[in-house]
This record gives sequence, structure tokens and C-alpha cells, in this order.
Amino acid sequence: MNWIALLTTCLLTISASAQTVLTGRITDLKGHSLPGANVMLHGTYDGTSTDSTGAFRFSTSRKDTATLVVSYIGYEPTRQKITISPNPISIRLNELANELNTVVVTAGVFEASDSKRMTMLKPMDIVTTAGGGADITSVMNLLPGAQRVGEQNGLFVRGGSGEEAKIVIDGMIVQNPFFSQSPNLQSRGRFQPFMFKGTSFSTGGYSAQYGQALSSVLLLNTTDQNQNEGLGISVNLANAGLTYDHATRNASISATGYYGNLKPLFALVPQNIDWTHVPELGGGSLTYRLQPSRTGMLKFYGMYSNSVVGMNFIDPSSEMGKTAFNQRNNNTFVTSTYTDSWANGAWQLMAGLSYSHDIDATTYGTLDFGRGTDRLQGRAMLTRSLGGKLGNQLLFGSEGSRVTYQNSIAGTPYSLVDTYGAVFFESQVYAGRKLAIQSGIRGEYSSVLNRFNLAPRISMAYKTGIYSQVSLAYGQFYQTPDARYLYRNTSLNYERADHLILNYQIIRNKRTFRIETYYKNYAQLVREFTGPNGTLGSYDANPYRFPWGQTDNTGYGYAKGFDLFWRDQQTIKGLDYWITYSFVDSKRLFQQFPTLATPSFISNHNIALIGKRYFEKISTNMGLTYTISTGRPYYNPTNSTFLADRTPAVTNLSFSASHLTHIGKNLTILYASVDNILNTRNVYTYLYTPNRNDGSQPTRYAVGPASYRSFFVGGIVMLSRKAKVDVRQL
Amino acid sequence: MKTLITTLLTALLGASAPTMAQSPQYKQAMTDALTTMNNFRGQPSATDLLTIANQFQRIATVESGEWLPRYYAGLNYVYLGFMGKDQAEKDKYLDQADMNLKAAEAISPKNDELAVLKAYIAQSRMIVDPMNRWQQYGPLFRSGIDQAKTMNPANPRPYVLEGSSLMYTPAQFGGGADKACPVLKQAMEKFATFKPTSEFAPGWGKQQVEPLLVKCK
Repeated sequence: MNWIALLTTCLLTISASAQTVLTGRITDLKGHSLPGANVMLHGTYDGTSTDSTGAFRFSTSRKDTATLVVSYIGYEPTRQKITISPNPISIRLNELANELNTVVVTAGVFEASDSKRMTMLKPMDIVTTAGGGADITSVMNLLPGAQRVGEQNGLFVRGGSGEEAKIVIDGMIVQNPFFSQSPNLQSRGRFQPFMFKGTSFSTGGYSAQYGQALSSVLLLNTTDQNQNEGLGISVNLANAGLTYDHATRNASISATGYYGNLKPLFALVPQNIDWTHVPELGGGSLTYRLQPSRTGMLKFYGMYSNSVVGMNFIDPSSEMGKTAFNQRNNNTFVTSTYTDSWANGAWQLMAGLSYSHDIDATTYGTLDFGRGTDRLQGRAMLTRSLGGKLGNQLLFGSEGSRVTYQNSIAGTPYSLVDTYGAVFFESQVYAGRKLAIQSGIRGEYSSVLNRFNLAPRISMAYKTGIYSQVSLAYGQFYQTPDARYLYRNTSLNYERADHLILNYQIIRNKRTFRIETYYKNYAQLVREFTGPNGTLGSYDANPYRFPWGQTDNTGYGYAKGFDLFWRDQQTIKGLDYWITYSFVDSKRLFQQFPTLATPSFISNHNIALIGKRYFEKISTNMGLTYTISTGRPYYNPTNSTFLADRTPAVTNLSFSASHLTHIGKNLTILYASVDNILNTRNVYTYLYTPNRNDGSQPTRYAVGPASYRSFFVGGIVMLSRKAKVDVRQL
Repeated sequence: MKTLITTLLTALLGASAPTMAQSPQYKQAMTDALTTMNNFRGQPSATDLLTIANQFQRIATVESGEWLPRYYAGLNYVYLGFMGKDQAEKDKYLDQADMNLKAAEAISPKNDELAVLKAYIAQSRMIVDPMNRWQQYGPLFRSGIDQAKTMNPANPRPYVLEGSSLMYTPAQFGGGADKACPVLKQAMEKFATFKPTSEFAPGWGKQQVEPLLVKCK
């Protein structure tokens, strides 16, 4: 048998001598070595990994020519025909586009998302921020560009009023995103933060996909799957609810039902309001999702709520200084969307249909001030990816809505129907990895105005370094005037705002710095003339007055300023803190304003300091938030200069904590929060009694929050053994 | 004797011959790679893992009909995913793991070991940023484990992953030794009778479980 061994050795030797040793080096385009690159000859087992200097060395029995295949994580793989020879081979690889080396258009956008790695905010932040009360818009109000207006609903963005911001769920505008407003009291948003996987808050210069908002859109995208399984019970000082979640392989359902009554809370927290019917509410929601195919997703969401409230509110125009207010609200919102993609995502479709119905049965004293809206909306959008490595794409879509508005003004009914249609087109083009340009155009038609508008939008971003970039955005934005103006005058035009935004940001190692400066020009704003023969008339500061005067679109104004954002999750282990500062300088001539002046909803400086920390040993998450909003103008009839007075600054220190534990075998979350720890007597604005003929000085009333220092406790018990909740989420 | 020589020659020259299923080169290459992998002592370095992942990927490129090289390449990328120096790097490795998993699934759909790998990738993704990712990857991990168990009740690896995940989850979050130990014991019982389907089929897991069992009474 020895000779066989010998023969084998011979053969092996022959074969070994017939081998060629290939050597070379793999680098990036700049010549930096790439260790660990995979090098092989196509179709053979011959190959190796590069060493720490990017060098490789392997032998092959191939002769003449072969294809050398080189791959390295994060780089474009390359194939190269080579001649088999001992001469060293040198190959340069091109880095693939990724989130770090490719620019993203960010001017005006503040995103909270999981899917993108380079975001400053995560969905979780919405629920873990103290002072936000797990309310989406309250948390958005802590972001740069937004400001806090304690007594009104809505998002006040960069000099814009609450009506100038729209809330959009899965592409569909929500007509009544907040619970109905009571006089001088802010109400919560109707939507649970847990419903959403991603939030994008635009403080201006937003995409042509959205319209009918002069200052801002808040885009909320619902989750694709359930977060819990089984039954859950939640009880707190104001509310008791049940939730049920169930998921199968390709479908899931969630149902919630609740009853709320603020009596227990008000018994413990002193109220500044003379309640005659403590807020009481009931409602429920149903979510259904179905994945009919690998790429398709159908979502349905329906919600109903009913609420009752009664109070004697400060009304300077009344002899007693107070007026009885009673309100019953009924709200229904259903929305359904279908998304799908074809050809490996080259074509993407998003289609949706939504309907909302909202009725306020409201009385002031004995007078009927009821109102209602019905909204039907449809939307379809098609996105075409243009392939390539960078994500160039074209997007085309259309939406239409029919909204019925109804108002009863001291018993007189007003109503109108607006049929609205829009088409939009947008392209995103990369000129290399460093420069991206997004340009779009939106055309709109409103039947009540019987007018068209065409709004171009453009934004671009340039990468200035590995971690930093600058963005620039410009856009025109149109909004149909408030229905209350249109009841009496349908010859009005759209109101218009032009935004110009410049942004710089740097995100590195869990630290973010961002500065954005902007100039907004307002035009075609509605002005109202209450005097005889279309003259100005005297100013009425009542925020709930009906605009019965003559109106036109001669108003204008501007807002300019800058916002700063700093977030650091790195320096102090376990601590996550952010600081925001917004400065705005804004003046307008609109509504009944006699001169260009800063509107009463503007606060020039807004500061928010937010900190949170998770304490693992006691499985508790704690957060602290401190906010300062400098004084806002208010109308003082005794001051001859219009809106020259300023309220004192509003400050608030708040705390929140959540703790995970078990009651029996059931997973339980307990939470507590304290708002306005320092019991500051904040004043939001002042109201004056009307001028009297006897020459006496008018009386001044302060408008503040419903309560000063207040606290809130509650808990959630999951009845299913499968339940999984992360305390850090709360 | 002639036959023997012919065989030897075929074997030696085979590199240039068209590849066949389970060719001797394949067997040799897999044996080499698995030996290297099994000989890692203690915590292998990222370089070692990348080298071995590359090695499996090279085999996979030649043997386009075999799911195992893809599987092992993916598995090594999962290990790398635990080791990356920052989130972006970890995700880069896990993207590679996903890519290999997808390729393997295309070759061998309905494979319990690939369901385990899927769960393992989901777990690794979650660990990159648990606070923000448990929502997305928790259910994926769960579904991978469940699928693997249904497809092959005798496979101990889904229990290894499930048990070790429970062990590292604090009790307040529904984990802890009390929850983990019964699952880990199940894994050990299954290892006692588990027979790999082929010589290169996955066999890992026992060594991961043993140190954890110390925490169980």
C-alpha cells in the first residue's frame, strides 16, 4: 500500500507545483485598507479573507484568466477579470449608500421613528416625557419650533395659530383631533400614543403630499401589529378602561372601551374652575389589520366618544363676570388604508378612505352655540422607486374631501359644504450621496372658494461631514379660511404662507445638535371690518366671538426666528436629556387688528429642559421637565397701544414616574405624575370687561390653568399571561 | 487500482470540474470550516468570526444549492451582531445575517433550523437597542421560535434561544431564572435524544445552556 501513498504524494506535489499564489490588497477609494474583505475566484473554492492590512494571499490551480470576486460589508461588491500571475492585484471598493454617508432632507422635519436609525426622537419619548401627560401634541409642544399656549387647543408652530397646523393619520387629515374645547381650557388629543409607530412633526417647509396647513403638519403612522395580547384593565384617577388584543398569523385586532369621570381627581386636586358638570366621557375604539399578501396591508381604525362638561366660565362681557357653559360632544372617526408594493418595492401604493362626524351641543347661558362637522376624505398615492443605489423616487397622488360645517350662533344656524380636491407630484433626486433635492408641486381646488391654487415646494440637503449636514427648504402653503368667515363671505381667497428654512444638524454618538432658522411670510390673511361702511370698528378681544363684520384678504404678516435642539444620551450613563430653545419674532395685520402687531398667541422665547432616567434596580422610569414660555401679548383696552402689554412668563416643573410590577401573576404598570410641582400661579392671558359709558375703569380677569399643582396616579393590569409590556415605554 | 487512481485524480482536478451536489470539495470545505468554527476557544474575536463567515459565504457562492453554508454564514454574522462596536456596525452585520438567511430560505423553505436563525437574528437586533426595538423584534423572535417548535418538536435550539432570552430578561419584564429554567431543562432533554439530520447539520446549543443551568436549582 505504500506505493499508493507515494503516488498520492506525487500527485499532490505535481498539483501543488501547478498552483499559482495570488496576492494583493483591498482598499477603499481613498486607499484605506479593508481588513476582513472576502476575496475569491468565481466558481471555485479558492479564496480567503484579507488581513489587518487589507492584504490577501491564496493559491489556485486555475490557469490563464479568472474572475476575482471581492466583497466587503458596506461596500459595493466587485468582480474583476484577472490574469493568473504572481503579480500583486490591487482593488478599490466603493462604499455603499447608507444612513451615515447619504444625506437626508431634514429641513423643518422632526421625526420620531424606529425604522430610521438617524432620528432625534423615538416613539417611546412621547410617553416617557414628564409634563407631556402621554399626550402626543403636548410632547410635540416641547419640541423646537413649537410653543405652548396654555388655554387653547392645537399646535402653535413658529408664529402660526392652532388652526394653521393639521394632524394627519396615515395620510388622512383628522378634522377633530382634540376633545372639544371648553372656554379657555386646553383639551387632550383623542389619540393614544401607543397606536403609532412613527411620528413626523414638520415645523415648516413640508412635502407637497400635504396641504391646507399654513404652518405645520403632524404626521402619525399607525403600527402594523399589536403590542399586547389578551385582556388588560386600566384604572386611574379619571378613567377606567378595558383593552383586548389578539393576533393571528396575518391579522390582528385591538379593541378598547373606557369610561372617564374627573370627579375623583377633582376631589383631590383644587380646581380653579367652577364646574357644574365635571367632565365625563365614554367611548371605544376598534383596530383591525389584515395582511392579505406578503406585501399588502389593510388597516381599519374606528373610534367613538361621547363627552359632557358644564362650567361657569369667566366671561367679562357678562354682568356677573361668569356665564354658564354646557357642552355634549359626539365624535366618530373611521379610517381605512391599504398599502401594497409590487416589483420588489419599485411601485408602492397607499390608498385610504376616512370619515368623521363631530357634533358639539353647546350652550352659553341659554343661547345655542352648537357646532358640527362631517368630513369624508379619500386619498391615493403611488410611489415609483427609480432604482439605483440612492433611492431616487417619483411620487404622484391625489386626494379629495367633502366637509360640511355647521355652526349655531346664538341660535342662528350657519352651514356650508366644501368639496376639495388636490393633486400632488414630488420627486426625490440624489446628485451623489452628498446632495439630495426634493421638489414637488401641489394643486388644490376648493368648491366654496371656487378657486385653484398651485403651491411649489423644494427642499435640499447637503452633507457637510460624516455626521453633519445642512438643509434648505422653500415652499408655498395655502389654507382655506376658517369656515366661520366663509359663512358670510364666500368670495374670500386662500390664506397663504411662504416658508424659507435653513437647517444644520450634527448627530454623533447619541448626541444631537440642531439649529434651524426660518423666515415665514404671511399673505392674503383674512381681515375683518366691524365699523360702519367697512371701516375698522372697535376691537373685541373675545376669542369665541363670531366674525360678523365685512371681510377681505388684505391681511399679511411675518414670522422669523430660530430653534435650537440639543440631546445627549451619552455623557452621563443612563441619563437622557434634551434642551430646546425657540425664538420667534412675529407680527400680523389680520382679523380685527387695527395695526401690524404680535398676536396674543405668540410667546417670543420658549425653553424646555427634559431629563429622564431608567432605574433598573427598582424597574422604574423617572422624568423631569421644566419649561419656560415668556409672556404673551394681551389686549388691554386702557392702553392706547394695541397689544402692547405682556403677561408674566409661564413656567412649569413636572415629574413623572412609571413602575413595573406584578399583582398576583399579572403584569402591572403603575404610574404617577406631578404637574407644576412648584405650584406656580401661571397666567395665560387677561380678559377685560367691555368699556363702560360711565367712565369707570374696566375690570381685568386672569385666565390660567384649571388647577395649579396637580397630580395623577393610575395603573394598568394585564390579565393575559402572554402580556408583555416594557416599563420604559410608559 | 485504476479506479482508485481515477478517483484521486477526479478529486484533485475536481476544482475545475462542474460542481455536483455534495461534491467531495464541498464536504472538505465544510469540514474545514466547521472544524475551525468548533475549535474557537472562549470568545472568538470579530476577525475570527468575520473570517469564518467569509469562508462559509465562499462555499455558499460555489454551492448554490446548499442551505447550510448560508446558514453558518448567517449564524456567524449573528455572533458578530452581538459584538459590533456601535449600533450601526451591529446592524451592518445583522443585515448580512438577514441576507444569508433569505438566501438559505430560498433554497430550503420550511426549515426549522432557519426559523431558529430567524429568531436569533431578531433577538440580536433587539439587543442592539432594546428600549426602542422590543416592539418590532419581540414578536419576530417569538414567531421564529414558535415556527421552529412546530416544524420540528425534537429540535432543542428554539428552547435554547427562548430559555437564554428569558434568563437575561429581568423578572419584572417577565423573565428570570424561574421562567427560564424549565425551558432550558426542556432543551437539555431534547439534546439527549436529538440526532442531526446530516453530518453538517447544526448541533450547537448545549454549551450555551450548560453554564446557565448553574442558576437553576
